[in-house]
Amino acid sequence: MTASTIRPAVADGRLPGRVWMYSNYHCNLACTYCLTESGPKAQRRELDPEAMIDIARQALELGFTDLGVTGGEIFLLSRMPEVLAELARSLPVVALTNGTLFSRRLLDEVQQLAELPVALQISLDRPDPDTNDAMRGPDNFAKVVAAIPRLVERGVTVRIATTVESIEDAELDRLCELHRGLGVPDADHVIRPIIARGRAVDHDLGVQADVPDLPAELTITADGAFWSPFGPTVHGGRLDTDLLITRTTRPLSVPAQALLGLVEQRPAGADSTLNIR
Amino acid sequence: MLLAASEAPLLARPHYAGGDPGPIVAALAQVPELLVVATPFLGAALGPSAIDWRTKEIVIVRTSALAGCRYCVQSHTVVALDAGLTKAEVSVLRGEAAAENCFSAPRERVLLHWIDAVAGGAGPIDATVRAALRRHWVDHEVVELTAVIGVTLMLNRFATALELPVATQTLDRLAAEGLA
Repeated sequence: MTASTIRPAVADGRLPGRVWMYSNYHCNLACTYCLTESGPKAQRRELDPEAMIDIARQALELGFTDLGVTGGEIFLLSRMPEVLAELARSLPVVALTNGTLFSRRLLDEVQQLAELPVALQISLDRPDPDTNDAMRGPDNFAKVVAAIPRLVERGVTVRIATTVESIEDAELDRLCELHRGLGVPDADHVIRPIIARGRAVDHDLGVQADVPDLPAELTITADGAFWSPFGPTVHGGRLDTDLLITRTTRPLSVPAQALLGLVEQRPAGADSTLNIR
Repeated sequence: MLLAASEAPLLARPHYAGGDPGPIVAALAQVPELLVVATPFLGAALGPSAIDWRTKEIVIVRTSALAGCRYCVQSHTVVALDAGLTKAEVSVLRGEAAAENCFSAPRERVLLHWIDAVAGGAGPIDATVRAALRRHWVDHEVVELTAVIGVTLMLNRFATALELPVATQTLDRLAAEGLA
């Protein structure tokens, strides 16, 4: 019943095809614009790996086309390389990472992803260490530019995500030169605005965004299902519920059907022009 | 525990469109998929229906008193007065006076016995109480009245367990009526 409604909705573009999962909320960094107030001491809010794999299978059965995994820093979870590999047996995966934990051992473990439809999306905001690290933490730039070519040479697909309030053309040109030099083509570089949620609010950063501004991508967390991966944010240590869809996450048909219902209530043309992805 | 309008999940937002939705909705908003099915159900069970307003409030206040639910007793005391019950009748329903003093209609007296048996006891209901009820109420009324008792008991425990706050204007009205 639900697959018969979700699949055509995804196929004709009424519902985005990607299902996101927040694997965890803790992180080795504490970026100034972090939506989820992630950091070393953040509440972990982990999704069980078996649950993630089950969600991927259900997503495939319902007619979704892609998966996204984000956090927190996903590679703080020791099983993440194998989990990503297992997820990719259901659907193509984009996995967001800060790119700072790629030791030789982790590089060896992610090697298995080279043969699978998995892309690692690594955050790199500026072409210079000082300006990049000001918002992301010490040595972030150096670790990222060291990790990317090592991943690329192992055949792992790497995307670059640049999250900024604004960036001058000349600085962006240098950033693009940098990622091309690291082996990441322009097609795999996304630039997106800071959203004024989570820690960004405390630093007076970002643009305001509500339902019309955010992609209706079903996002599963340990706390429930949300509208878009920009939904399950944390501020003041408290989970934001304004973009909560359902607390039920499995069967996935429950939040998927609720999301579709909300999407179909939107007036035509209500989508924002904010480049949020 | 209670979500403010700024925290209202997407499915709950319509319930906040007219202002404060009250503590039951503000609590259920924590689980939006429950809220969206609970509110129509609660509305159908406790709102206007084939059972008249006065009778429903008799059931709700009496049941809530038996369950010891401060929130529901106080909230529905005001509703019961608005539905036309007298202060004396409400006092009886709240267990503060004997029924013989107020409820003279046989139909209402057997209903009170039914409420006391269903909400105030455990296990099977005395057959004579059921038979008495059915002499005065037709089958669909018996079913609906019993459903209202059950729904009220559910809300009684929900409100009591979560310590839902009674609205200030309700407390003011109760004080003014001498029913605080």
